[in-house]
This record gives sequence, structure tokens and C-alpha cells, in this order.
Amino acid sequence: MPEQTDRLSVREFFSGVYVVLSRELEAYFDAPIAYIYASVFLVLSCSTFMNAFFLNGVLEMAPFFELLPYLLIPLIPAMTMRSWAEERAQHTFELLMTLPLRSGQIVLGKYLASLAFYFIVLLGTLPIVVMLLWLGSPDLGLIFASYFGAVMLGGFFLAFGLFASGLTQDQIVAFVLATLFGFVFVLSGHDKVVEILDGLAPTWQLGTFFYESLSIVPHYTAFTQGLIDVSAVLYFLLMSAFFIWMNDLSLKRSKF
Amino acid sequence: MIKVQSVSKWYGTVKAVEDISFQLSPNEIIGFVGPNGAGKSTMLKMLATYLLPSEGTILVTDLNVVDHPLSVRRKIGYLSGDTPLYQAMRADKFLTFCGKARGLAGAELKKNLEWVIEICGLSPHLYKRVSQCSTGFRQRIGLASALIHNPPILLLDEPTHGFDPMQVLAFRELLQSLKDNRVILFSSHIIQEVSALSDRVIIINNGKLLGDGRLPDLAKQTGQPENDLEAIFTHLVRQSEVVNA
Repeated sequence: MPEQTDRLSVREFFSGVYVVLSRELEAYFDAPIAYIYASVFLVLSCSTFMNAFFLNGVLEMAPFFELLPYLLIPLIPAMTMRSWAEERAQHTFELLMTLPLRSGQIVLGKYLASLAFYFIVLLGTLPIVVMLLWLGSPDLGLIFASYFGAVMLGGFFLAFGLFASGLTQDQIVAFVLATLFGFVFVLSGHDKVVEILDGLAPTWQLGTFFYESLSIVPHYTAFTQGLIDVSAVLYFLLMSAFFIWMNDLSLKRSKF
Repeated sequence: MIKVQSVSKWYGTVKAVEDISFQLSPNEIIGFVGPNGAGKSTMLKMLATYLLPSEGTILVTDLNVVDHPLSVRRKIGYLSGDTPLYQAMRADKFLTFCGKARGLAGAELKKNLEWVIEICGLSPHLYKRVSQCSTGFRQRIGLASALIHNPPILLLDEPTHGFDPMQVLAFRELLQSLKDNRVILFSSHIIQEVSALSDRVIIINNGKLLGDGRLPDLAKQTGQPENDLEAIFTHLVRQSEVVNA
């Protein structure tokens, strides 16, 4: 570690991020909520998939991936609500902020830990892929692109979930705030919502505007159709980066 | 080693610390005493870089806390008054985390861990979760986390909170053993504790500095008995309240 400078090399920066990431990931598995969360996610996602699978009789995972944004609206906030709110309630926020780490390292460490946990939970759906492979020859390219989209989507939901958690020390407020964010980003892409909003102000075409510029739906749908579209990847990466940056800013503000 | 120059801190419209200046040098244990809400914790939080001063300058080893917070934090061991610990973590894992976050690794981390475990007497409950430990033991874990990188500056906010009388005595011995080449600043509202431990006392009330010096000097200034910090403290606080009125 440098003695008289606040500048960090890339290695030092990511070494700090890794320290926070390891602690956070361990904390997820230390609490029973992680196992409850994983179980609820897998039961809901797999049961809805199986229902659609037996009704349609097609070797594809589309029903699972189409439902995923709606499942994540309450499930991701349930995962992120404790992240910062609990640090503030337990006063460990002060401990973190007086360690020789930049707030950006702590924010990124927390974000990557939550992303890793989400990824592990998502891996729990792989038996569906194994089952489809056992039954026939599903389109693996389509499945891979859809999983990639699911990771991008989860990463975005986690970024605004953590941002919401950083704004309050009340976990319920953090949950409600992040769920509202989720509703806005998902429902603004729903056909009926777009129609209603367009109808309210036909000259402004608000519904279409929100669908094209704000909603995750058009970007996420590209992945579920088997396309790894650069604009969709950029949308998710930039939106996630924006909320991670906002999270960092909100923490810095607390020093004043 | 620490220079505090005309520092004030506002919380909205409330002035928590007002125009405070002092300097701290190594080989001293400095007691920071004042009633609850006097501004002790706020001052310590600013020294630890958790809060930024609204006015004035704080230099730690000639580094401004606003411009060089990371460098300052590397030199400081800070135990907040709330004893912030991750309740679900095991004590040993918590200390390892604090060590790694402070850039320790390998043999150095192992050596420092063994050192803090020994001096803070953590062996009996080292592998317990923090939530399963007593208040006094948690306080010792907090102290160990502040010492893990063997810092030249130790800032302790109400460090004996939750200690039984024997633990208080052990804590006094520990601080005395640590004071060589180190600045130790601890806050307390228990006058007897400050009197028993400190080489020098800083007294504040309502965010203002009322007195700063060794007990004999403060006694001379106030005309109070030499070893009676309680009388000195009461005299200074009453005097300040008369001035404020």
C-alpha cells in the first residue's frame, strides 16, 4: 500500500473490491434469507416453466425467460434491501467508511457480490436445460443468449436495488423503493401501459417514448429471441453503471 | 502528529463543534471528556475521516483529512462508540476481514492477528459469531479491529462501554502498554476513567473547547485541587454555561 498517496493502482483497487466482495458473498450464505430467497426463486420459476412446458409441449425455455422480469420485480429488492440499510442500522457503515477503501470499491464489491449470488441462484435453473437436452435438441444458442440476457437484466435490477438500499436505513422502505423502480422499468414496456400512456397524450406519445427510452422490455426481448444485440448490452451496462455511480454519490453525500 | 485548527461542524443548522483547535503528539494518552452531546464523537468522526469538517483544517501527520482520507485512514485505528461489528460473522473472520481491508496479507496478517488476539484476550471466544459474544467481549473485538494494522494513532470513542470492573483495569493496562510512539485519544463521559488513564485531558461542552492540558496545569488555571478532574470539569462547564447565558 502506498504510504503518502491516495492514488490506487488498478491492482490495489480491485484487491479492495475483492475483499468487500468476499465478505458480502459470505454474508449472503451466513443468513437464512439467502436459502429462502433461492428456494422461492427456483420454485416459482421452475413451476411456471413446467406448467407452460406441459401445455405447449415445445423444447424451449421461452416461458421461463419471458416471466423472469416479473419475477425479479419483487425478488431482487428482497435480496438487496438489507445491503446498505443493514449496514446503517448495525452501524457497520461507519466501520466500512473509515477503512482505507474508496467508497467506489465498497459499492462495486457489494454489487459484484450480489451479482455473483444472483448468478449462483440462476445456475439452479440449469436442470431445466439438462431436461430439455435429454428430451431432444433445443436451440442452445437461443438458450445461451437468453441466459446472457437474464444476467444483464439481473445486473441492472441489482444496481438500482442497491441504490435504493443506500438511500435509507429502513429495509422495508428500500424494498418498496426498488420494487417501484422495477415496476416502472418493466411495466413501461407492457403493450397495454404503452397504449394507455399514448392515449392520454396522443401528441406526446409518452407510452412509446418510455417504451423506447426507459423500458427494459425491448432490450431484454432481443436476448430472449436469440440475439446478443450490442445496443441491448450497452443499455444494460450503462444503466447498471449509472445506478452504481448514483449509489457511490449517495454514500459520499453522507459525509457532509 | 495531529493538528486540529479552528474546526467547526454543522449538522444542518445545529453547530455540533465550534472553532476547536488542539495538537496531539505521540507517547501520550489523551482523554477527551465532556457531557453527552458535547461534540466528542463528532470530533472523533472527523479525525477518522468519517465526517468532513464544515470549517477549519485537520492535519494527520501533515496530511489534510479532506484531501488524503485514504492515507490518513491507514495511520488511524478507530473504534466508534457504537462498536460496529458484523453480528453474523465469526470473531476471527471479522478480524481477518478488517486486516485484509487494511491491506494486510500473508505472514504480516497472521502475525498481527496473533498479536491482537493475545493483547485483547480474544482466544476464548474467537470462533464464536459476534452475536453470541457478551457486550464486553464485542468491545474487545472492536478494539482488536482498530489495532489490527498496528496504527500510530488510536481513536477510541467510549472504549470501556460494556466492560466489567476487571476488564476496565485490563483495558487501562493495555492502553498504557500501547502508548509508546503512539497517539491515543479516547473519549468518555466518565470522569474517573479519564482521570485514571490520561496524561492529558481535553474538555469540551456544547461543541466548544473549555480546557486542554495536563491535570496540574488545568488545576492551576481553574484554581481547583490538582488531582480532582471532577472539580476542574464542573468548574469549567459551569463557567461556560454562565458565559453562554
